Amino acid sequence: MILSNRKIRILFWSVTFLALALLLLGCTREVVKEVPVEKVVEKRVEVVKEVPKEVVVTKEVVKEVPKEVVKEVEKTVVITPTPSPAKVVYVNAGTEPPTLDPALAEDSVSINMVENLFVGLTNFNPQTSKVEPDLAFRWVVSDDGLTYTFYLRNDAKWSDGKTVTAHDVAYGILRTLDPKTASNYAYVLTAIIKNGEAFNSGKITDPSVVGVKVRADNILEVTLEHPAAYFPGIASMWVMYPQPKWAIEAHGDKWTDPKNIVTNGPYKLLKWVHSNSLVMVKNPDYYEAKKVLIATLDFRMIEEESTAMTMYEAGSLDALGGSLGSVPLEDLDRIKKDAALSKQLTIAPSLTTYYYGFTVDKPPFDNVLVRKAFTAAIDRQRLVDFVLKGGQKPALTFTAPGNFGAVDAVKEGIGIPFDPAKAKAWLAEAGYPGGKGFPEVTLMYNTSQAHKKIAETIAAMWKEHLGVDVKIVNQEFRVYLQTLHTDPPHIWRLGWGADYPDANNWLNEVFNSKSPSNNGRFKSAEFDQLVEQAAKEQDPAKRIDLYKKAEKILTQDVAAIAPIYHYTSVALTKPNVERTFAPFGGEQFNTWKAFVR
Amino acid sequence: MYRFILRRILWSIPVLFILSLITFFLMHSIPGGPFDTEKQVPKEIKANLERKYRLDQPLWRQYMEYSWGIVRHLDFGPSYASRSRTVNDIIKDHLPVSAQLGALALAIAIGTGVPLGIIAALKQNTYIDYASTFLAILGRSIPSLALGPFLIWIFALKLHLLPVATWETPQHMILPAITLGAAESALLARLTRASMLQVLREDYIRTAWAKGLPRPSIMLRHALKNALIPVITVMGPLFAVIITGTFIVEYIFAIPGLGRYFITSIGNRDYPVIMGTSLLFGFFIIAANLLVDISYAFIDPRIRYQ
Amino acid sequence: MLPLRRQTAEAPTVPRAGGHRGIWADAALRLAKNKLAVAGGIILLLLVIAAIFAPFIAPKGYAEGSLEQNYATPGKRYLLGADFMGRDLLSRIIYGTRVSLTVGVVGATLATIIGVIYGSISGFYGGRIDNWMMRFVDLMYGLPTLLLIILIMVYFRSSSLVGVESNPVIKALSVIDDAIGGMFFIFIGIATTSWLTMSRLVRGMILSLKEQQFVEAALVAGASDFRIMSRHLLPNFLGPVIVAETLNIPNYIIIEAFLSFIGLGVNPPMPSWGGMISEGFRGMRSYPHLVLFPAMALSITLLAFNFLGDGLRDALDPRMR
Repeated sequence: MILSNRKIRILFWSVTFLALALLLLGCTREVVKEVPVEKVVEKRVEVVKEVPKEVVVTKEVVKEVPKEVVKEVEKTVVITPTPSPAKVVYVNAGTEPPTLDPALAEDSVSINMVENLFVGLTNFNPQTSKVEPDLAFRWVVSDDGLTYTFYLRNDAKWSDGKTVTAHDVAYGILRTLDPKTASNYAYVLTAIIKNGEAFNSGKITDPSVVGVKVRADNILEVTLEHPAAYFPGIASMWVMYPQPKWAIEAHGDKWTDPKNIVTNGPYKLLKWVHSNSLVMVKNPDYYEAKKVLIATLDFRMIEEESTAMTMYEAGSLDALGGSLGSVPLEDLDRIKKDAALSKQLTIAPSLTTYYYGFTVDKPPFDNVLVRKAFTAAIDRQRLVDFVLKGGQKPALTFTAPGNFGAVDAVKEGIGIPFDPAKAKAWLAEAGYPGGKGFPEVTLMYNTSQAHKKIAETIAAMWKEHLGVDVKIVNQEFRVYLQTLHTDPPHIWRLGWGADYPDANNWLNEVFNSKSPSNNGRFKSAEFDQLVEQAAKEQDPAKRIDLYKKAEKILTQDVAAIAPIYHYTSVALTKPNVERTFAPFGGEQFNTWKAFVR
Repeated sequence: MYRFILRRILWSIPVLFILSLITFFLMHSIPGGPFDTEKQVPKEIKANLERKYRLDQPLWRQYMEYSWGIVRHLDFGPSYASRSRTVNDIIKDHLPVSAQLGALALAIAIGTGVPLGIIAALKQNTYIDYASTFLAILGRSIPSLALGPFLIWIFALKLHLLPVATWETPQHMILPAITLGAAESALLARLTRASMLQVLREDYIRTAWAKGLPRPSIMLRHALKNALIPVITVMGPLFAVIITGTFIVEYIFAIPGLGRYFITSIGNRDYPVIMGTSLLFGFFIIAANLLVDISYAFIDPRIRYQ
Repeated sequence: MLPLRRQTAEAPTVPRAGGHRGIWADAALRLAKNKLAVAGGIILLLLVIAAIFAPFIAPKGYAEGSLEQNYATPGKRYLLGADFMGRDLLSRIIYGTRVSLTVGVVGATLATIIGVIYGSISGFYGGRIDNWMMRFVDLMYGLPTLLLIILIMVYFRSSSLVGVESNPVIKALSVIDDAIGGMFFIFIGIATTSWLTMSRLVRGMILSLKEQQFVEAALVAGASDFRIMSRHLLPNFLGPVIVAETLNIPNYIIIEAFLSFIGLGVNPPMPSWGGMISEGFRGMRSYPHLVLFPAMALSITLLAFNFLGDGLRDALDPRMR
């Protein structure tokens, strides 16, 4: 069929028009939806600038916030008139949190959010790294160390007004363990709670035989598989948070949407524009609401470090770095030289260790002398000074300082420090004097600019001190994980961060030969025995001693890994914000302060 | 013509079907699953996750269930990485953002590229021509990875004219749209120039000159129209790519678009999101190429489809 | 079949295919007279020489550096400055020519050869053949190339993962991959996608061109399909093809940058311009030289390609004489 010129023209334009109309329709709808939000943000910023210092800003904010919120905020003002002029604090979350569900959170962004929306039985004080009471005002351990009884405070409320009870905590624990919930982090609980593993793997279907019992509305009893001195630490983790059964049952997977979610923490969720921003407001029903000084937290999701840095400098972010995105290392020298920025820079310790592992059954790394030589040839201090620049601590042992059971490696003389002469001697003793005849070996990392820089630098050190050429290979993250589990290369990188600050989370959960995380096939009966005994041991002094022995085997005698450095959290904070630093887990915004600039 | 269009629309069904099939098996043959983590969990826990998302089923059955969901409810499945959202949610949230940005960038590319190309062609081998060539090549050779941060630095931080990043007001859209449009503008400018030069020497243009037609009429009605064929051909797939989102620009400017999601979903092995976004992109490509083919008949009436 | 409207061959202006010297020799002569094109050609020649003889030209090795000199600014010691490990940037740019130029040239060559042939056939024969061939192009467009690249990378870099260790073909390809710093998979990724737009471009132009009188005349004169395509159609659509392809060269180089940015790049310490840009852009404000010079290398290369491309286009234009 042949159409006339005119008809074709009409047809073409109508199709084009239709397509454009569809497109515009999509756009306009979006624009309409976005408009109120945009106004809020824009005007709020202006208002804040103009307000004289004495006036409480919260009141000004009220006018711009959507109707239903107005009530809430007004209530805040009435119930708890904040002493210092709090305001909106803008921070960078880094990425979109994959979930806000305490049962499912497993990445640092989600955990950061969840820990501010919910509170658990206990809390880790970020300053002292000690376990403190939170929802449970006290707890009692049975003599055999197997049963913990938690007594809950009765003034704790959910954001919908209901009281937080032991039932909610029990529900939360059982829901996390439930195979239908399919939680990755349930592994923390299956390893310790009585019958937790059987329930999680479906061998038991009756939740009442799991070691979680409600004794009274405010009394919860948890029974363990084996004694564990570190259990109060686990009780602070999000996997043991109370969860609102009624909201979860009513809304299913969508219960974490702003309109459905019920929380019990210092903050509650106001708005969540996916991959763009997430806004939390102070929860007036939180039992320590008086101590919460920042009324509104606005999390931005900026993945690119340099963009976040520019936003910080332009004044669109109040804090950057630590667990809130990161300060680009390329800018560190500039920041240190800048008069204003250098005062805003802080470097705090972080409970994370970066290490290179050796595959101990793969020649030539089946020879302990080769592993020792490679470890001794790494000049960690130079790596930190010239490449990482963030004041990281060279690591000689695995467990990061700040954890219970971490060893002061330098003082105790544990681990293999940088010593090129010894490195050469060890390699010669292994049969490769000056690197002669050394077979081709591979160093593998999952690609990221930071890992690449470290790999290139360390490979250059091996070349310099040992005369060995190492082939550097990078793999896409998930392929890399698969490679580690099936056929690990000679040398590989990994990092480990504390879930709870106890050496058990490090030595036992990573390098026990039964641990699924033990990638390098390091096997030592003595090591296993030491860490398992330490897990059960109740006497802190004895535990420290056991971990010291275990560290010595891992990083010195067997040299299964070469710890490289302990992370620091490098952060920039505007002068009008006073912040604390969480060495692990989420930031505790309820301890932050902010003033009008 | 109507029959031609109808046939092409029907053809898109088998193409999309084969596309989904290949993508499905391609993504499943890559090592690493959606629930592998740096902290290895016991295999029972991983089994729970796989059971929940039916990854324990044989592949053919997973594929059948997946396609049945699409056919019956247009349901593209849940996201594995964003646990509270479905693929439909993700497309609904993020496609409009990418489409807005893309439409704006495309407008910039066409609005600057085509006129620049025409001028360069008309003034061939003059300084105007060289300048436009130089500008176009510069625009093409600066990767958006460098151009984006550079524009942010100048316009947001130094001049305080525009916001740094994120997606809120129309002002937020300017820098990313320019970054995205610059390279394509350059391509269109050069292509228009080359194509114009070719057409200007055709017999019918000479005839038009001989007939004494006014210059603008010759340029626009005769020359430009025919010169547009290569330009429009290139614009078709460009349209599909740009509307469904581009990773680098969305990443640099922290824009909640679909392009960022697609790349992230591959890294996460978020199978349903990979499938959903790929099919969506495939759909746009087919539609764009169809529009291009229809437009040929409009531009050059000699082209006919049987 | 092609619709033949007028059977009377009233001597349409068939472009004479090159007089007595032949089309290519003729074109080469005209190209040599174009100063800009010659300049572009010389620059490209220099780049090729730099790539081949990098060890003799570069002042230092690409992996050689001292941490104390990291981020050194351009000056006497390092002409273009140094990178995070104190490695000489100039040397790395010179070595980087190897990867980047290869990626660009291989990409453009593949795209042109496959695209022109595929598009010519599809456009010239039209009808059902055209439909099948173009639907295949739609399909290829839709394939997520990134998945393919990751998969290929796995096969080459960790063949034991997918159980193909013993396959001699994979083994041989892995050796090649190793020898060129692990960029083989980039070629494959580019090869699967680069020709698509080109084939549609050529097809679109042929759809229009084949209705013109000189094609009809050639048909009447009994020319074979191949002769019509290569002698009559090719010179008429070569202009946009060359321009589009010379402009796509940076695209291929940037694809490599993109891949190294998202974590699928060339193995270190092998440098590439794309990799250097993606490594340096973050430090743009502290160490501008890290991104400026690789980007300049890219721009100069592109300018050279374009001048040469323009010259080629003019030289091959059948009407310009």
